[in-house]
Amino acid sequence: MAQTQLKNKTHTEVEDGSSLKGTLASVFFVGIFIVLTWVGVYFLYLDRF
Amino acid sequence: MHMHKFEKVWLIFGVAALLVFLTVLGVSAFYLGNQPPSCLATIDPEKVDTTAPFNEPGLKKVEGKDWDYELVFVAQAFAYTPGEVEVPLGAKVKVIATTKDVIHGFEVAGTNINMMVEPGYISEHVTVFDKPGEYLILCNEYCGTGHHMMTSKIKVVE
Ligand SMILES: [Cu+2]
Repeated sequence: MAQTQLKNKTHTEVEDGSSLKGTLASVFFVGIFIVLTWVGVYFLYLDRF
Repeated sequence: MHMHKFEKVWLIFGVAALLVFLTVLGVSAFYLGNQPPSCLATIDPEKVDTTAPFNEPGLKKVEGKDWDYELVFVAQAFAYTPGEVEVPLGAKVKVIATTKDVIHGFEVAGTNINMMVEPGYISEHVTVFDKPGEYLILCNEYCGTGHHMMTSKIKVVE
């Protein structure tokens, strides 16, 4: 007799939809990149005459 | 108003970065006196050859100023006068340039000297030539068919 599959549920971890972890990482990835390039250009400027 | 903790973190980071950048800019402009190369000094482009200091292009020693030398350049399609010049190592120099015709560039490759020279305006940059070597001057504003051949040279010698 055919059996319904309803009982074989797999359990997946679902992160809270309002988590901003990934957003925080992305924001700082871009932010640190901007700061590092700015500092690099600034020291190049100071080093040259 | 509810605000996520992370939102506060990156807003503070962004505002702080902005304040740091603006402070550096403000110190540079109002304390160190840095200004754009072409800062309100004008000249009649028709009379460049007869107007001091452009009637005698080249390096000149000056007394009683904040700098030791004045290095005068006249740009015109498609050359600079002088075509080559020697500057003593360690000299504090005011580079002064203008153009007789169209807009040209004045870039001393590998240095901070990089200005636009516009007809009717005088562009200036003060610096200490503290590294010996040969420096190529290039036109980096497209000025016509001979643009790519428009060069000059500064030799910083001991
Ligand atoms: Cu040119």
